[in-house]
Amino acid sequence: MAPGAGLSLAAALDFGTLPSQVVNGVLNGAIYALIALGYTMVYGVLRLINFAHGEVYMLGAYTALFVSWAYGFRPDVPPDQLPESSLATLLVMMLASMAVCATVGVLIERFAYRPMRNQARISSLITAIGVSLLLQYGGGLFLPQNPPPTMNERVNPYRQTLELTLVGAPRELSQAVEAAREEFQKAERAFEERLQAEKDRFNLSPEGERLRDAKFEAERRLRDAESRLNSAQVTVRVSAGRLAILLASLALMFLLRQLVLFTPTGRAMRAVSQDFDSAALMGVNVDRIVTITFVIGSALAGAGAMMTATFLGTSITPYYGVLPGVKAFVAAVLGGIGNIPGAVLGGLLMGLAETLVIWAGYSQFADAVAFVVLIVVLLFRPGGLLGSSAVEKV
Amino acid sequence: MRARRRIPAALWAALIAGVVSVGCSGSGEAQKPSEPSEGATSGASAAVRPQPTAEGNKAEGDTLKIGIVVPINGDQKPWGDDALNGAQIALEDFNKQGGIAGKKVELVIGDSGSNTEQAKSAAEKLISDGVLGIIGDVTSSNTIQIAKSAFEKGVPVVSIGATNDDVTKQGANVFRVCYIDSFQGEVMAEFAYRDLGLRNVALLTDRKQAYSVGLSNSFRKHFEQLGGKIVGEEFYETKQTTFTGQLTNLKAKNPDGLFLSGYFPEVGPIVKSAKAAGLNVKFLGGDGWDSKEILNSGGEAIVGGFFCNHYNNKDSRPQVQHFLKRWKEKVGGEPGTTMAALGYDAMAVILDALKRCQSYDSKSLAAAIEETENFPGVTGDLTLKGQNGNPRKRALVVEVRPLPDGFVMRKAIEPKDLSQ
Repeated sequence: MAPGAGLSLAAALDFGTLPSQVVNGVLNGAIYALIALGYTMVYGVLRLINFAHGEVYMLGAYTALFVSWAYGFRPDVPPDQLPESSLATLLVMMLASMAVCATVGVLIERFAYRPMRNQARISSLITAIGVSLLLQYGGGLFLPQNPPPTMNERVNPYRQTLELTLVGAPRELSQAVEAAREEFQKAERAFEERLQAEKDRFNLSPEGERLRDAKFEAERRLRDAESRLNSAQVTVRVSAGRLAILLASLALMFLLRQLVLFTPTGRAMRAVSQDFDSAALMGVNVDRIVTITFVIGSALAGAGAMMTATFLGTSITPYYGVLPGVKAFVAAVLGGIGNIPGAVLGGLLMGLAETLVIWAGYSQFADAVAFVVLIVVLLFRPGGLLGSSAVEKV
Repeated sequence: MRARRRIPAALWAALIAGVVSVGCSGSGEAQKPSEPSEGATSGASAAVRPQPTAEGNKAEGDTLKIGIVVPINGDQKPWGDDALNGAQIALEDFNKQGGIAGKKVELVIGDSGSNTEQAKSAAEKLISDGVLGIIGDVTSSNTIQIAKSAFEKGVPVVSIGATNDDVTKQGANVFRVCYIDSFQGEVMAEFAYRDLGLRNVALLTDRKQAYSVGLSNSFRKHFEQLGGKIVGEEFYETKQTTFTGQLTNLKAKNPDGLFLSGYFPEVGPIVKSAKAAGLNVKFLGGDGWDSKEILNSGGEAIVGGFFCNHYNNKDSRPQVQHFLKRWKEKVGGEPGTTMAALGYDAMAVILDALKRCQSYDSKSLAAAIEETENFPGVTGDLTLKGQNGNPRKRALVVEVRPLPDGFVMRKAIEPKDLSQ
């Protein structure tokens, strides 16, 4: 941002990129929503904020990474010797991540939270923070992090970018681009021919420098023509991987909805979340329901982690879950913690709010603004957007 | 009811005003570091640095303690490990060549844990343990904290990889063995403008890292001085996972190059999603790119990117060959990051100074370090005398190539080669 540009808000806005940014926001929000579901389900059933959820997410990312290594996508293999990936590989990775996360979630519940269940609620909360730190720093002892590994991009067979042109550009602009491209290719060929006679591409003779600068000149004219074309049209670009994240997230959320609304387990889950003790009196096996809640919530986090690790390719460290965990927690609170549609809404709103702040030219404050939105919402609806604001009986 | 409604409206207004005003002051502040940085490259014209008033530590008995503060835990661990190994090799070499008669140099290790708070407390602990001088840290933010504590106690600091210009302004006891950001920004601006022919470059800055902010500002300043245009700057934060918002904004500005001043764990994924966002441009960066992992995290997109570095394993200088041989004996393989060579140099500079000391205390050690002239380091010949702690030395422009090549050295740029 140029100095002083922050003074006038309107000047920074570029409505040509707004459609792309809305799409970006929704795509980012889908991941937050997926993680937020784990927080909100556990809170709904146990009234416990599972701070270790972000670490479960981190373990999911490592699991996906290890499975990809087992398939032969190791970082030290030159690109031309890597195996082919397929949808089946991705599914195996996702199932493995979900299984490991579900197991870890259940173990955490069984050994850290269940012994604390009849104690004061603050004890479980502190236990949750303890488990979170244990997994972060304990993970640091065993998990590879030197340097932080990333998933090989070849694991993802869907690497192309989908482009949708909403407003097309006039014909003469694209013709100008074609003309400029021909000029550029001619200059480039001239330079490449000259390069045969040169010793070093970066220490050229005067003649080489002249041809190089001519090539640059032609390249700049091409860029200018392209930028005029780009500015005249409105396009939305989505990488296929990110679209896959959105579709898979929606599918998982739909499955969850069906499970909670239309199965006996789902009914029991809702009963436990309404009143823990009465549900037990009515014959609901509460321990079993709590375990299932942890299985589902953690498996969703595992799926989310596998997808971010694979499709976004971010570096995986033992602290991988901290930031997404905090953001998803905020999303869950924003939507109304304990409320499943609320978590999805909160996640999408967080993603959109962050991206729109960046769109408006304030990328320095993207994180801060997400929290400002949270504060504002909680000022007026303390229970979150879809949560109940009734005072809790303690 | 009506009266109640009005409060929210006022609150909204206040909030929006707050965000906007923070926005202004924030961007103003981000510009600041670029102003005084220029003097540092030319050394002599910079302002006089404050002398520490404290006496510092004195050696007790025959043991001379030197402290090292590097990240042995946390996400900067790869650099910390390499730097520590480098420093230990330097100490072994020094002892093999005779060391100091009747004295034993001991390296006391402190862990900065990849964060500023721990760096500060580790340095304070080493100082109270009686070290004569401290080596470290590998990053600027951590070194600034170490330098502050060391200044209070009068202990000299030789930083390994802190390239931010302001680091050595903490006091006359602070030195480094790496070049500074305004120099590497200048090198990359020059390379982008002349060798790559770029004219419209966009910046993407990690606003959490003093290093990244300083490097972006230096690049902006020199690129504009050469006649180029910075068409936009966007910000992200360390550990952020999605960058599509920023990249969509930058794509609309139609740049022909993208300068990524952050560290490799974010740069790789950024470059990948930049390609997906339709930014088919040249990618450039600083020494924060220096890890082989960027080849994996950046995938096909990072190939053809250029960054500025202190050192390259393929360099033919005899010091480099000796260092590589010793590394192979002690650690095995080749060093993965530049911090190995810089760690060696930082230790070697302090040991060389220790040899020239009149008496074994912090004050004379600082004076001896200040007198370092034409020291043949692994990363280049370095002179600290009269340079305000910032050595004049060369920088390498390195191109990212697919494995098995990895990083290929393209051009060595000496301070005198620059046009300004």
